[in-house]
Amino acid sequence: MNFIKKIIPMKDFTLRSLMQFEKTPLNMLMFVITIALLVAFGWGVVEYLVHSHHAYNITRQHPWGLLIAMYIFFVVSSTGLCIVGSLGDVFGFKDYMAMSKRAILGSIVTILAGFAVIAFEIGHPVRMLIYNVLSPGLTSAIWWMGTLYGIYLTFMIIEFIFLMRNDMKNARIFGLTGLLVGLAAHSNLGGVFGFLNARIISNGVFYPTYFILTAFITGIYLTYLMYGFRYKMQIPDDIKKGLLGLAKIQALLLGILMFFETWKLMTAVYGGMPGRADTAEHIFHSAGFLYGEVLCGMVIPFVVMLATKWQSIKLYVFTSFIGMIGIFFMRYDLVHDTQVKPLQMMKITEYQLPPTWIEYFPSAAEIAIGFGAIGIFFMLYYFGQKMFELDATEH
Amino acid sequence: MARYGMALDYKNCINCKACEVACKEENGVELGAEKHRIWVGGNNPEGQWPLLDIASAAFLPSQCQQCDEAPCEEVCPTHATYYDENGVVRVDADKCILCSYCMNACPYDARYVDDRTMTVDKCTFCSDTRLARGETTTACQNTCPTKVRTFGDLDDPNSEISELLRTREHFSLKSHLGTNPKLFYLT
Repeated sequence: MNFIKKIIPMKDFTLRSLMQFEKTPLNMLMFVITIALLVAFGWGVVEYLVHSHHAYNITRQHPWGLLIAMYIFFVVSSTGLCIVGSLGDVFGFKDYMAMSKRAILGSIVTILAGFAVIAFEIGHPVRMLIYNVLSPGLTSAIWWMGTLYGIYLTFMIIEFIFLMRNDMKNARIFGLTGLLVGLAAHSNLGGVFGFLNARIISNGVFYPTYFILTAFITGIYLTYLMYGFRYKMQIPDDIKKGLLGLAKIQALLLGILMFFETWKLMTAVYGGMPGRADTAEHIFHSAGFLYGEVLCGMVIPFVVMLATKWQSIKLYVFTSFIGMIGIFFMRYDLVHDTQVKPLQMMKITEYQLPPTWIEYFPSAAEIAIGFGAIGIFFMLYYFGQKMFELDATEH
Repeated sequence: MARYGMALDYKNCINCKACEVACKEENGVELGAEKHRIWVGGNNPEGQWPLLDIASAAFLPSQCQQCDEAPCEEVCPTHATYYDENGVVRVDADKCILCSYCMNACPYDARYVDDRTMTVDKCTFCSDTRLARGETTTACQNTCPTKVRTFGDLDDPNSEISELLRTREHFSLKSHLGTNPKLFYLT
């Protein structure tokens, strides 16, 4: 342990102290939720190990399901927290300096939760690690995304070590490199969908840029939630200034996002191009899009921030929770909407109706693993808080 | 070495589905409606009885289009999908990680998961069976009662398929996507 402490400064802790926390109602609630999510994750993994992909509701026509959406949800969160963390230690904005350590820790634990999800979605994760190196598919966006995320995680860990050592010069170097690699990885994740010529609703430049924009938005939502919980709404002044600044940035980003989404849908519908216009109209009429993405993810947080003139941090913590529900729907819809239009429009089995929209609802195992991974995030974040001093503000 | 392709005189198809059965039998494809390498698509006739538009009730036999610019090959992160020496798009099951990206990228819905190996499978023009035995026909072609399919080497100017493509008008499915399929539908 002393050897590790020489590399990265840590608090003094024992296994016993790691398990002890103040028994407030909120802490107890978080404890119960975390344990329930971890149990669900474990059950889902057992289901998967017993039944393989048959435990999931994915099909030939809809091969990507909730687990892909949750993987995206976590890695988007990671990139977003990396961007927020970089505001202070990479770009030197003093108001955000105090947030860097917590945000970078958040970016590390969210991507680990994402990796935990994708490990049970990919059919052969060990084979992936081997052939990713031995037989790299350089024209594949998945190869670039996966490889860059691996490098990104390494840089984030090194940046975090330097932050904990208060070595701001090196933290800045690795932070900037990690940020650039993270942005490249993340836009490649958008490219995974953008490169799909067969899926014209997703094909194009929109997703690679949209992913970066929504990552920043997600990062700000999570920063609010982390600080709201950390200080039980009694935010200290040095953090308050940064959070109020983030609210203004968030309102601007949400405005840009609504602008982008509006034009994406309008250009998709305009002209009535088969396969694109009908899919866009289908999306527009879905509850997930209207109530999840638009209302929770964009409109409610935007209106609250505008109405309160960027001055009500407590309210923003609650709207950030609503915002994260919206972000989940953005990820889920992104995956589902890409596949909702059948590629085979003729009936191929007798006595069936011609194909219409592809339907999908996640199985219990998918829900358990996908949402259970939030428990992994809670657990890792809790241990991170216990082991590292994240509140130091003076560099 | 050849560059295999297939011409389909699809208007001759009577939807007997013998090709589907022959494919499953020859290549040991799993049972089940979702597990198929080839299929016959059909449309219900349009209009109200008795004024049915019989011409609209066409059958369209299909399978992997063996694209020269295959999206499934481009998106594969481990090169599990590759072109063999005959230009056939194949899957190396030892390298497939089952990320399912190819299933999403294929515009023709030609790929499915083989539950025995938990890898993605597809039509190989019978490369592992008939071609490996030295035959130059596919199971679907061989069994077709109305001779819908003609299989052969596109690089051989004297092959039956080359002759057909020179003399008959033809089209490819979703050719606007730039996939350059090696399946040709004769009109």
